[in-house]
Amino acid sequence: MSDSAAVPAPRQYRATLREAGRQLRGLLRHRSIRVGGVLFGSVVLVAILADLIAPFDPNKNDFRAMLAAPDALHPFGTDAFGRDILSRVIHGTRLSLLVGLLVVVATGVLGTVIGTMTGYVRWLDGPVMRVMDGLMAFPGVLLAIALAAALGPSVVNAALALTITFTPRTARIVRGSVLVVREMPYIEAARACGAPHRRIILRHILPNALPPLIVQMTFVFSVSILAEAVLSFMGVGPPPPTPSLGNIIAEGRAYIQEAPWVALTPGVAIALSVLGLNIIGDGLRDSLDPRLRNL
Amino acid sequence: MKSCHESRRPTPLRRLLIAAAALAGIAAAPAGAQTEGGELVLAQGANPPSLDAMTSSSESARNINMNIFESLVTIDENVNPIPMLAKSIEASDDLMTYVFPLREGVKFHNGDEMTAADVKASLERYREFGATRGMLDKVAEIEITGEYEITFRMSEATPTFIEGFASPRAPAVIIPEEEAAKGANEIEIIGTGPYRFVEFVPDSHVTLEKFADYTANEDFDGPTGFGGNKTAYLDKATYRIIPEAGARIAALEAGEVQWADQLPVPAAKRLMSDPEVTVFEARQWAFLTLIMNWKLPPTDDIDFRRAVLYAIEPEEVMAIATEGFYDLNHGWQYPDRTYNAGDIGKEIYQVADIDKAKEFLGQSSYDGEEFQILTDPNYGEHSRAAVVIAEQLKGIGINAVVKQLDWATVLKIRLTDEDWNGWTLMQGLEPFLGPYGIAAKMTGEQPHQRGTDPVLDDGYNRLITGATVEDRQQAFADIQTAVYDLVPQIKIGDVGRMQAGSARLKGFKPFRAPRLNDVWLE
Repeated sequence: MSDSAAVPAPRQYRATLREAGRQLRGLLRHRSIRVGGVLFGSVVLVAILADLIAPFDPNKNDFRAMLAAPDALHPFGTDAFGRDILSRVIHGTRLSLLVGLLVVVATGVLGTVIGTMTGYVRWLDGPVMRVMDGLMAFPGVLLAIALAAALGPSVVNAALALTITFTPRTARIVRGSVLVVREMPYIEAARACGAPHRRIILRHILPNALPPLIVQMTFVFSVSILAEAVLSFMGVGPPPPTPSLGNIIAEGRAYIQEAPWVALTPGVAIALSVLGLNIIGDGLRDSLDPRLRNL
Repeated sequence: MKSCHESRRPTPLRRLLIAAAALAGIAAAPAGAQTEGGELVLAQGANPPSLDAMTSSSESARNINMNIFESLVTIDENVNPIPMLAKSIEASDDLMTYVFPLREGVKFHNGDEMTAADVKASLERYREFGATRGMLDKVAEIEITGEYEITFRMSEATPTFIEGFASPRAPAVIIPEEEAAKGANEIEIIGTGPYRFVEFVPDSHVTLEKFADYTANEDFDGPTGFGGNKTAYLDKATYRIIPEAGARIAALEAGEVQWADQLPVPAAKRLMSDPEVTVFEARQWAFLTLIMNWKLPPTDDIDFRRAVLYAIEPEEVMAIATEGFYDLNHGWQYPDRTYNAGDIGKEIYQVADIDKAKEFLGQSSYDGEEFQILTDPNYGEHSRAAVVIAEQLKGIGINAVVKQLDWATVLKIRLTDEDWNGWTLMQGLEPFLGPYGIAAKMTGEQPHQRGTDPVLDDGYNRLITGATVEDRQQAFADIQTAVYDLVPQIKIGDVGRMQAGSARLKGFKPFRAPRLNDVWLE
């Protein structure tokens, strides 16, 4: 492998951009990624435009319309406070995606740093990974519930609890990739050329260890949405009246026979979000894994 | 003071109690062909925190304990005090002595006979561990004056003493002397009631079985309230702990349980059309209230509290909090009760006066700090009320936030001066038992609002020591006036409770706890 440092910078960036564009077009050619992208993209769009498209204030009570069945005014009915379910689900979706995004970013950064360091620096591997193993020994959602209960109900604490829960798994995946990549001949060549560790990690190891991480992030995103719903359902998510998909379901469970729309509507929203992300994840795995690429 | 024997002559109080007891007994006498045997399975939402009846004022414990244990006096169907393990209640004219002749031949579940020694030991234990031991504060001495007689010597005449002593909140039950020597929650569960304790598996169930040697009180014609002439028809009763309301309903509909408590109103309304189910509506179940913390800004400011009072629209809060099963009532007593104080506060209560609320807010030192409303999800009425109140207060510029924590944590926090300004609370037994419990929570050493006021203290003192009913009515009216002025608590409205039973369950009437006596399964 040639040392990219020898290539003049502008030409290198143009080449990198061309390569990224080529790879993106390659990914979009994959049917699963297109289908998942449309599905999840729609959910993201709804979340971004929540303030514009929600027909009502999600916290506006109306005791004359408690548990009203779906009609033209409230297409998905109202809850026990007379609040519009559609508006609450739209805003709840925004919050779920926000938590998912926070967890993905935080988990991605922490997991990458820990995984890379433990994979590259041999003496760190044992002690740090044993701590990660310890965290992984707890069932993920239970650990998140315990942490969220200890930290108190809020959006940030829910995201923090999920980050602590999912970081060890991400770190383990990155570490596995780094362990493989660091033994590659081109890494040995870079070392022989006198490249410093930082350059070897950032320019040679990380880019080649990223594909499994990208697939893992789609998984973390979808599991975070589910886990946030679980936390809110258990009462340790954002406090009322903040709408989240989990607490809307929790409020609707007592009326599942009399007003099923209260619990079903956010349930469908969760299912669509997670389905879209999982399909994207499947597509990414197929596209990025050389073993599956030609199957 | 007259001697004990002299005082056996019926006093007005005694005559009243006996007459009320007899009437109530007749009114509640069972009729028809009862079926013996069978097991009744009841579903309730929470574990009993303890089956040591003296130490717990929890509803989930009372539901069970009132069938295992009995006390010297209790309440009848109309909430009047009646003798239970006492044969009668004999008060001296100056109310400085109460003599309780005991019913003879009453057996404990361990087979021993109850005597005055057991009663004294139990009441001395209550003074130490009783959850509402304050009701014995005015009792200077408890004296054994016969094998079957106990005498109270009072430190101060308290006309309302017997009403307080009969309270089932954390009842002053009678247990064997050897058990009474044990610490809180260390006793064997042995009482004199119609059902005896078998087992308690936390988070699962509590099992009771019929006490074959139960000694019914034949001074009464039939059962009444928690007393009277009680008969056990069922062989066994199992209380299943089912926290989820939907699961309780499903268990009832599937026939797995024959009685279920705390049903969501929409589900209860649906069940009304089911011929296999009988729905019981307890209309006057509790007061929904917002307690203020006088020790923490901004609720330490009387003008701020008045702003909150005027900003609350009770109908919206009640309709949503109770799922539509409520009565709007400004009074701190139910409308048909002796101590109802009429229209005091009605004008303030009826509808929100936003202009006035803003005026008070402007006069206060409020500077945008958080108004933290403490609540819990365990009682839906609490959390729903908190959410609606918060939205209403935001409407006048108060930065209201809902602080929702589990019930046990809420109970700890509300005993501190920090971390809460308002607290949504249903008060059930207090208004049910009359004016004393309600007023007691606004005064004394540990008032709900964390602070006291001489006006409230004086009103409470006159309420419990007033010589005549009129004196006490005036005292309670003064308290209600002060409550609308000083705002220690805000009355939101009266809450109902929905319960349901299998159509096979006969003889059941809703009361403050499900009574296993005089009910049977067809």
